[in-house]
Amino acid sequence: MMNESMYEKLTEALNERKDTFLLTITSHPEKQLIGAKALLWPDGDFYTEDPISLDLNKSLIEKCEKLMKKKRSGTIHLQWNEVSIECFAEYFPAPIHLIIAGAGHVCEPVAEMGRMLGFFVTVLDDREEFASRDRFPLADQVICRSYLHYFQTVKLSDKTYILLLTRGHKFDVLSLRELLKRNEKPAYIGMIGSRRRISGVFEELKQDFPDDCFDQLYTPVGLDIGAQTPSEIAVSIMAEILKVKNQKSGHSLSEKVKKYAKLGFQEGGQNGAAATHKTRN
Amino acid sequence: MEQLQLIKRAIEIRKGDEKAALASIIRTKGSTPRKAGGRMIIFDCGKIEGTIGGGCGEAAVIEKAIEVLQSNLPAQHRVDLTSGLLYEDGGIMDIFIEPL
Repeated sequence: MMNESMYEKLTEALNERKDTFLLTITSHPEKQLIGAKALLWPDGDFYTEDPISLDLNKSLIEKCEKLMKKKRSGTIHLQWNEVSIECFAEYFPAPIHLIIAGAGHVCEPVAEMGRMLGFFVTVLDDREEFASRDRFPLADQVICRSYLHYFQTVKLSDKTYILLLTRGHKFDVLSLRELLKRNEKPAYIGMIGSRRRISGVFEELKQDFPDDCFDQLYTPVGLDIGAQTPSEIAVSIMAEILKVKNQKSGHSLSEKVKKYAKLGFQEGGQNGAAATHKTRN
Repeated sequence: MEQLQLIKRAIEIRKGDEKAALASIIRTKGSTPRKAGGRMIIFDCGKIEGTIGGGCGEAAVIEKAIEVLQSNLPAQHRVDLTSGLLYEDGGIMDIFIEPL
């Protein structure tokens, strides 16, 4: 079994938002090597405390390359020095980085729900009294800094989800411009605001960034569930983030079933077989 | 992170006096209740934490885990859900069981 120091290495890497693979040798002619563990990172970094030789190490890394590219768990088999070895490579995806700019009243439930969903949550505000630990005890990071500076340098990737919920619309728009200038793209930028205001912003952005199709930009933010209170707005925003992350429609699951019901869906009925089959696909 | 929770528990348990084994799904084929990376801790009294999907497959893994605890050697076990009448579209799961 994994020991404590290896567990710490694993959590440390995930907190630094590095995708990590945990390797477990599940079959080996030498009994003491069954259950041996190692950590492997996509950049080729390797860590083990078990007597896995350097040669075997190399072969394992090579064999894992496909899984690392596909970003998924799997079992690999290798013939090494005439012995056959099986190894389970488990993918631990780095958590999503949720950056909430603007530590106002909507930010509180959003930060809390973000943690509930296992995201790495950063709360950002340029006012000390708002960006305070007391207000966000659960957040992974609470940063007091100017929005512009932060967004000029923060690491952006397909794991970065950004919410612009600042006190003034102009801060949101300025932050957004800064983000659109960057070469790296986040997976999601959600910006709060009324429809009327936002259409104006879009007009301006289209002039300044004519090549951008604003695919990652979601504004007004959230799914249409009639959210009013900060908690309701947080649910609407989080539902949208999950929808984007999981690449789903955001529709009610029951919708399809109701449609089939209208077509005469009946279990065991004549149309039943076809309809059941469709719902499974 | 949910994925880490049972590993963290296993490390805690190892520090204590209780004897237990960790079962991890390492491969699945077809329709199975849980996928690779699903985990369960089995204590020598038969008590469990976590799940690899419940049902008779899980019961067999518990039994195998007790054997692992007696021998103190890791083992693999295959859960085949394709043959039972109860499972319309069952699959196969391979489980790796290691003593803590």
